[in-house]
Amino acid sequence: MKFLVNPSKFNKVADYVFLPVLIASIILFSLGLIFAFYLSPDDYQQGSTVRIMYVHVPSAWLALLTYAIMTIYSVTGLAFRIPFGFIINTAVAPIGAVFTLICIISGSLWGKPMWGTWWVWDARLTSVAILFIIYIIIIFMNLSFENRIVREKVVAIFVLVGSINLPIVKFSVDWWNTLHQPATISKLSKPSIDPSMMIPLFIMTFAFIMVGLAIAILRIKTEIISRKSYLN
Amino acid sequence: MMILNKIISFYYREYKLNLSGFQDILTNIIFFFVSIFIFIFSIGPDKETISIIGIGILWTLLLLSSTLSLRKFYQDDFENGNLLIMHLNGFSFGFIAILKTFSHFIFVQVPFLLSIPIACILLNIANDKLTYLFSSFIIGSFILSCLGSISSSMNLMNQRNFLLGSVIVMIFSVPIIIFSVGIVNLEENFNSLISILFGILIIVFAINPWASGLCLRIALENN
Repeated sequence: MKFLVNPSKFNKVADYVFLPVLIASIILFSLGLIFAFYLSPDDYQQGSTVRIMYVHVPSAWLALLTYAIMTIYSVTGLAFRIPFGFIINTAVAPIGAVFTLICIISGSLWGKPMWGTWWVWDARLTSVAILFIIYIIIIFMNLSFENRIVREKVVAIFVLVGSINLPIVKFSVDWWNTLHQPATISKLSKPSIDPSMMIPLFIMTFAFIMVGLAIAILRIKTEIISRKSYLN
Repeated sequence: MMILNKIISFYYREYKLNLSGFQDILTNIIFFFVSIFIFIFSIGPDKETISIIGIGILWTLLLLSSTLSLRKFYQDDFENGNLLIMHLNGFSFGFIAILKTFSHFIFVQVPFLLSIPIACILLNIANDKLTYLFSSFIIGSFILSCLGSISSSMNLMNQRNFLLGSVIVMIFSVPIIIFSVGIVNLEENFNSLISILFGILIIVFAINPWASGLCLRIALENN
């Protein structure tokens, strides 16, 4: 498991993994889209608009997952002085921002026919918007410092401070009465979703994970190369 | 007793500095009042509307005008080397952050307390809400001082884009605004809301010395 903290080992593993990940993402995406558009049933209340869920939910999960990964790597970077954590922070932040943006846009496209409005100031929606702005601030911080060592450490501290938002996003539907529905799958009891909808949802989730992984591998490799040239 | 003497001389120095630069604090307060005028001109002088949204306007402008002075939080001490001298005198960076946070609260935020009653008259807010407003403002402005300490220490080495510091403070002050405005508008929930506000204060006050101290040390090491 050393490739998770060591840049040269990561490069070796990434060379093996990249092509299978890319192929898997293409296959899973086509399979998932076929399932989502043709093989999954309509909802009895929402009709065909329920198919937005197959994009909305995976992107929301991955937005949170990306931030959680950044938090863990910030801790390793600051506490154990492993510079690979800072590489991950720089490389992965735009991916998380894009996933959050997809989540917000698809959610508002879903909200217009179902709730009658593009946007409400509800706890879940507001906290996700704050998550998006935190990602944007991280990207801007990466651009605006001149000293590299200061930049990566300050960004890591900001990621740690901003991780307060993660439990708020997760539990906002339980703590407040929101228009957004509470969790149906990631809860302790049995998921309250039908298998005919859960299978396409999981296929789409894995497809999103594979796409995110492929882009992340490319970005991390670029970041490692740019740091090598910086040092020379 | 040595450390107590040092703390007293630290605050004496802060007092002298803030007294000589008192026009900065006055400029903040004038910015606050001019923005109130602009708000009232833009929504029209209707008394009912203003008294409904007055609390929200007041809190927004307090937040905006307290982010104006963030640039001076650590920057002067950092550039003339005083932070290093304080550290060599036996203050850890976290302790410097706590002292500076209290100094910012006393010398920058407390003068706003005097301007709040006048703003209440201008915005047509009832007198009996003044106690709620004061109690929420004292806690909320201390949270804003802590957040200001964190964001300005992060942006010490940031030469290009200092506005980012204000954005950081504003994005983390969203819960403070929600609960502080809630205290004034929903008076029957006073106890529960002020407990939540105290909880936020404790969290932020615990994070502040750690984050600001680390950022100060990183900035001084790599200067």
